[in-house]
Amino acid sequence: MTPTEIAVAVLIAGGVFFTFVAGVGLLRLPDVYTRTHSASKSDTLGAGLALAAVAVTFGADLPTVKAALLVLFMFVTNPTAAHAIARAAADQGIEPWTVDDDESGGGNE
Amino acid sequence: MSESEPDTTAAGRSYVESSIIMATVRVVSPFVFTYGLFVMFHGADSAGGGFQGGVIVATVMLMLGIAFGIDPLREWVGESVLVGIVTGGVAAFLAMAVGTVALGGAFLDYPALGIHHASKYGIEAVELFIGVIVAGTITGLFVAIDAGKDENSGGDDDQ
Repeated sequence: MTPTEIAVAVLIAGGVFFTFVAGVGLLRLPDVYTRTHSASKSDTLGAGLALAAVAVTFGADLPTVKAALLVLFMFVTNPTAAHAIARAAADQGIEPWTVDDDESGGGNE
Repeated sequence: MSESEPDTTAAGRSYVESSIIMATVRVVSPFVFTYGLFVMFHGADSAGGGFQGGVIVATVMLMLGIAFGIDPLREWVGESVLVGIVTGGVAAFLAMAVGTVALGGAFLDYPALGIHHASKYGIEAVELFIGVIVAGTITGLFVAIDAGKDENSGGDDDQ
């Protein structure tokens, strides 16, 4: 394997890992705030690493510029979307999950 | 939950602005608008087109509405202006399509226009008109759906 291929493989593996973490967090975490936290942080990094792999694959070419712009806008917009969701949830009066909810809700499941 | 936060949170009160969302929308909007135009004009020779580009341009209006409030957006744009934009797009499309017939060609027969690279510029013009129609329609639907929420009942806070 050439160094470029190794770099692409490492970046893709990192992207898959962080996207997987985001998916697990979205399914397993208890309420909207923690899920937003999981989805925004891990998913942004996962998508960023995958797009970095795309940029490395294409080398010095126009698609690299497009991938870099995609990374830039993803890093700007994804946390803002998470902020908007969390803010809207707080605006609607949704209370954050606490350990007490887990103890009372654990008996039902 | 709603005992601690009474209905004042969402009842009859306008949207509380978030400086983070407003700043992001200010920064991102021009790029999204440009990207929408790019997709519209790109439709002549690769993936893209007026429908996709129009939706992306309409996204700018949706972002503005979400960041600065939908009621101010409706007052700023004006419903009659939106209807006028959509009507103008349809009229321009029809003028383009029927105009070629008037010049002796078939429906949407761009070479009948007799300009340089008639097919290329003709398709791009038609894509632009379609994009204007789609963007105006989506913005109008967004604004109209939001305008309907206050008419049903005083408290739209039932969820």
